[in-house]
Amino acid sequence: MGTASFTAELENLVLIRRFVEKTAQSLQADQAAIDDVIQAVDEVATNIIVHGYAGKPGIIDVEVKREGASLIVHLLDQAPQFDPTTVPPPDLTLPLEKRQPGGLGIHLIREYMDQVRYIAMPQVGNKLTLGKKAF
Amino acid sequence: MNINISQGQGRVPVTILGIQGDLDASNYTELIAKTQELCNTGMRYLLLDMTNVPYMSSAGLVALHNIALLMRGDKLTDPQSGWPALHAVAGEEKRLQTYIKLLNPQPKVSRTLEISGMVEFFEIYTDLDSAIASF
Repeated sequence: MGTASFTAELENLVLIRRFVEKTAQSLQADQAAIDDVIQAVDEVATNIIVHGYAGKPGIIDVEVKREGASLIVHLLDQAPQFDPTTVPPPDLTLPLEKRQPGGLGIHLIREYMDQVRYIAMPQVGNKLTLGKKAF
Repeated sequence: MNINISQGQGRVPVTILGIQGDLDASNYTELIAKTQELCNTGMRYLLLDMTNVPYMSSAGLVALHNIALLMRGDKLTDPQSGWPALHAVAGEEKRLQTYIKLLNPQPKVSRTLEISGMVEFFEIYTDLDSAIASF
């Protein structure tokens, strides 16, 4: 298991990806699963920085661990509460102007992950849990 | 991320942009800006060499769409526009393939292109000479 905190800046995305990869590799997770988890974590972290904190200073806490056969990543922030799991999947039958903007990263997260769970923190902030079979 | 610029000559002159490094939310606007700069100086046909891009997030997909628009002389979309931007590409697939093509995306990048559906919107080559000759 490993935990780390990052300031909410786009330049830190690469550091977040490296942290997740190194920690998951130390747990001896399957590399293909690690790659998928990294992609999902990056999309979540990007959304937290761009839409959650929206340019204001903030912290993203990242925890990587094994639970049974799954690689689990918790991402915590203190940004305004937002549940990304409620974003509807893109409806390709709608005309362009009626489609929901900004759902691309969330679509990729759903495609790459086996589990995506959201908890609104009691006072402020969000906890998103990503899970992928990796062992 | 670094961007190398070179020229190829098929039936038409082709500008080759060699991207080196991860393409994510921290740097995708640099790629759009570089393409804009080249368009302003007369670039007409573009081959994006993705041989040295080990990772690409959804921000990279938005960059690809915006670059495709630039190559046609269209206005850029909002970089945060996500799905609407991608499906605008979907509706205009054949025109896009005339001006911009992709070279040698690596496995993780190819997977992102496939999961997002973007793989259907761009011609993809694995050989430089064939790619240049295709324009």
